[in-house]
Formats: sequence, C-alpha cells, structure tokens
Amino acid sequence: MITFSHVDKTFNSKNQITEAVRDVSLTVKPNTIHGIIGQSGAGKSTLIRLINQLEIHDAGEINVLDYSDIRRLNKESMRMLRREIGMIFQHFNLLESKTVLENVLFPIEAHGEKSDENTQKAFDLINSVGLQGYEHTVPSKLSGGMKQRVGIARALINDPKILLCDEPTSALDVQTTGDILDLIKEIQSERNLTVVLVTHDMHVIKEVCDAVTVMHQGHVVEDGTLEEILFSARHPVTKTLTAAIGYNVEEIAKNHAHLPNKTLLRFPSHVTSDDILSKVIRRLDADINILFANITPSKEGVMLVSIDSTVPQDVKTALKENGVVIVHDQY
Amino acid sequence: METFYMTFASTALVMIFGLIIGALLYLSASDGLNPNRTLYGILSVIVSIGRSIPFLILIVLLIPVTRIIVGTILGPTAAIPALVVGGTPFYARIVEMALHEKGMFLKETGVAIGLSNRQIITKILIPESLPALVRGITVTAITLASFTSIAGAIGAGGLGDLAYLYGYARNRHTVTMIATVLVVGLVVLIQLVGDLIVKKLSPATD
Repeated sequence: MITFSHVDKTFNSKNQITEAVRDVSLTVKPNTIHGIIGQSGAGKSTLIRLINQLEIHDAGEINVLDYSDIRRLNKESMRMLRREIGMIFQHFNLLESKTVLENVLFPIEAHGEKSDENTQKAFDLINSVGLQGYEHTVPSKLSGGMKQRVGIARALINDPKILLCDEPTSALDVQTTGDILDLIKEIQSERNLTVVLVTHDMHVIKEVCDAVTVMHQGHVVEDGTLEEILFSARHPVTKTLTAAIGYNVEEIAKNHAHLPNKTLLRFPSHVTSDDILSKVIRRLDADINILFANITPSKEGVMLVSIDSTVPQDVKTALKENGVVIVHDQY
Repeated sequence: METFYMTFASTALVMIFGLIIGALLYLSASDGLNPNRTLYGILSVIVSIGRSIPFLILIVLLIPVTRIIVGTILGPTAAIPALVVGGTPFYARIVEMALHEKGMFLKETGVAIGLSNRQIITKILIPESLPALVRGITVTAITLASFTSIAGAIGAGGLGDLAYLYGYARNRHTVTMIATVLVVGLVVLIQLVGDLIVKKLSPATD
C-alpha cells in the first residue's frame, strides 16, 4: 500500500541543515489506521508529507498504491495520485471566503469539474460528518471540531483510498478530540480507507491506531502493532511515551517489587468475555492480584498480575489452557 | 476632474502591475511556491529602489520615458507613468504580504489536491486574501491621490495645480483652501468605497 525504503529528507536553510527524515524504511498496511508518533522535531510531519509529495525526498524510494518510486512521477501521474489521497490538517486549512459546501466541493471545482452529481455527493458527505444544516455557513462561524469535520468531508470528496491526518486533533479540546477520532475510525471502516495519522499524543494513538511507528530525530526507532508498542516497548523513547499515559508495564512492575511472580498476560479477543481468572483462582486456590489491566481498541485484553501461589507454574499452565497468552514473566 | 482621472487611471494600472509583481515576489520567495533566489533578489531590489525614490525626483527621472510613451511631458496623462512607477512597488509589497499570510497554511492544501502553482494563486490565495488586497489598493489609491498634487504642481493640472499655481503663487488662500478640501474629500471618498467593498467581501459579516 505505502512503502518507504531508505528514505532521506534534508532541509537546507540559512546555514542550517536539518536532517528531518533519515534512512526510514516502513510499510503501511492497507485498510488500517497507522499512527506515527514522536516529539516535535522528530520528523513525523515531514514523513507524512512525503506520501503525497508535499515534500520531496532526497534519496530512497516511496511506493504508494500502484505508483512506484513516486518521486519520479510526471506531473499528470502525480496529480492522479494526489486525487487518491485525501489530507486533513492541524489548522483545518479551510477557505474562509467560501461556505462549507463550497469548501467540500473545492477539490473538484478547482479542476473545473462541477456537476449536480458532485454537489449531491458533497451534501451527503456533509451529512455523514454530522454537519447537516451548515452547508451554507462560512467557516468563521464554526467551532474547531466542526471545522475539522469540514476538512474531513473535503478530504473525502474525491473518494480517496488513503487519508493523511497531520495532527488532526492537536488544536482541539479533549472532548472534541474524542469525537473527531471516532469519526475518523468510523469513516475508515465504512470506506476501507488506509489512514496515516501523525500525532505527538499517545492518547490519540491508543484510541484509534492499529499499527504504530515511533520516530525520534528523523529515525524510526520502533514499529509494530498497537499492542506491541503499548506493552512490549523496547526503545526508551517509546517507553517514555507509553509511561505518559500509564501504560509502562515495566514501571508498574518495578513499583510492586515486593510482589511475587509478576506476569504479563494477553487475552486474545475471543476469550476476553470468559471468566478465566476466577475459574483458575477457585480451582488452584491461588491469589491473583491484578496490577494493571486494559482492553485495546482491537478488543484484546492485557493484564499485569502477581500470582501468589505455591504452584505458580500450574496457574500459568491453567491460564494457557484457557487461551491466555503469557507475554512476559521475568520482572 | 484631472485629479480624479490621474488617481483612478494610475490606481487601475498599479493594481494590475502590483498584483503581477507581488505574485511573482511571493512565488519566488524562499518559502514560496517556486523559490527562485535570483528572480526574488532582482525584483526585491527594484521594488525597494522604486519605493525609496522621492516622488518629485521620480517624475524628473522619468521625463525621457514619459516623452516616449505619452508623447508629451505636460498634462494629466503625462503624470501617469510616474504615478504607476511610484505606486506599483508599494502595492506589490502589500500583495506579497497578503499572499504570504494566506499561503502559510493554504498552499499545502492546494498542492495536496493537485493544483498547479498558478491555480493555487488564482483559485485559493487571491480569493482568500481579497479583503487584504482591497484594503491595500485603498491605501495605495490615497497615496496616489497625494502624488497627483505633486505632479499637478509641476504641470500635470488637477487640484495640485489649482492649489499651487492659482492659490499659493497668486496669494489667493481661498483657492488653496478649496483645493485642499476637495483633495481631502477625494481621500475620504476612496476610503469609504474601499471599506464598503471590504465589508461586502468579508465572510464574517454575513
């Protein structure tokens, strides 16, 4: 879908050379929400801008959809590729002199392809992002969250296969952030979109992403599924990020140094509604203390427990027999 | 009436040239759509020199050019080349600033939906910065109205001519006062019309 191989991007400005993206290789799987996280200056915004060539890389190869080595595309192919990629921005980037409807239609209208069919499509999109009744309002009358909804509708008018989100919620409050993320999740699954989302906020990643790439100083330092990043982070940058939202299991284990047999369990989605723990506790007369538990967006359960029993191995075996995965037990 | 003619004719020409040069300045700037250090450098120097020459000196310097273009160096039409050369750099800078302000965020939107640089300027940046562009042309027109008085005093006719030759030189203060009131009236009129257009254009007021 989207692949980067050994991509470099350097900015040269007055006596200052910034290596924004360094030797990045990366794959974004189709039909997923792929998060890119890092502190400011980590190169994440540059990385997402390379996908539709708002920035042009200096070295390496990027393939998007059926287009290979997009840096070498001619103008017409680039225009076609860009029509398959929608993008939303931190500051919404709406046209203040146009109404909501005109903004949503703009990507079509600017190419001189206005038609009744497209106007109807714009009305439907405005409906589906929850802005019915605001078609003829100008953006300055809308709240931040509503502006981003217009941005989303505009990004979808060409029926793109890819949606790029550059810090889509960084200018919004917590409640609105949640609403916008829900909307992104909803349209992703309805339209089988591939979403690439850049953020500095681990909460956002935790809410919507299936896969996560962690960037630091232009490098990809860690890359994996959301579960891997949340619960088996290896790189210190990732650990800082997960700790910030209370997900650093190692840290929690360290804070409970006196407890025996600390074990990280994973409950695959088909067993999360079973009463496994209480069954095992009753059968083996063990004490199992839960130190941390959470359910990820993909409906997997993750739990850090301390097993207080004379036969801890038997407890683990019993858990495994019930479909629980022992992720780690050497704390 | 000569003052009206000189002001409006030169404003119209300044608007056209200013938009073109301003757009070129924006395009070629280091963070513009198509950075070109040489073009930006040349334009920038010309614009800066143009803005720093006092208008009276500019008229004198342009006498040979005026003679070629207009065929005479007297009368209101002869003042127009100097007015245009004096006003264009001023407006070009305003255009550049207005486009730059809107361009910061909006240019990437244009590129992302596959627009060319030319389309980004004509379909996004100029419509979006229209209120600022109108405000700019209002200020420019007022500056040009005051320039016409200087031109008038050295042979272009109009209110400057009236105030200086018929008023000051012949010691008839009433004439000077009337000419002044008329110039002030013209400036107020330009400002009013400008404000009215800006109000019509601003989306926030409907």
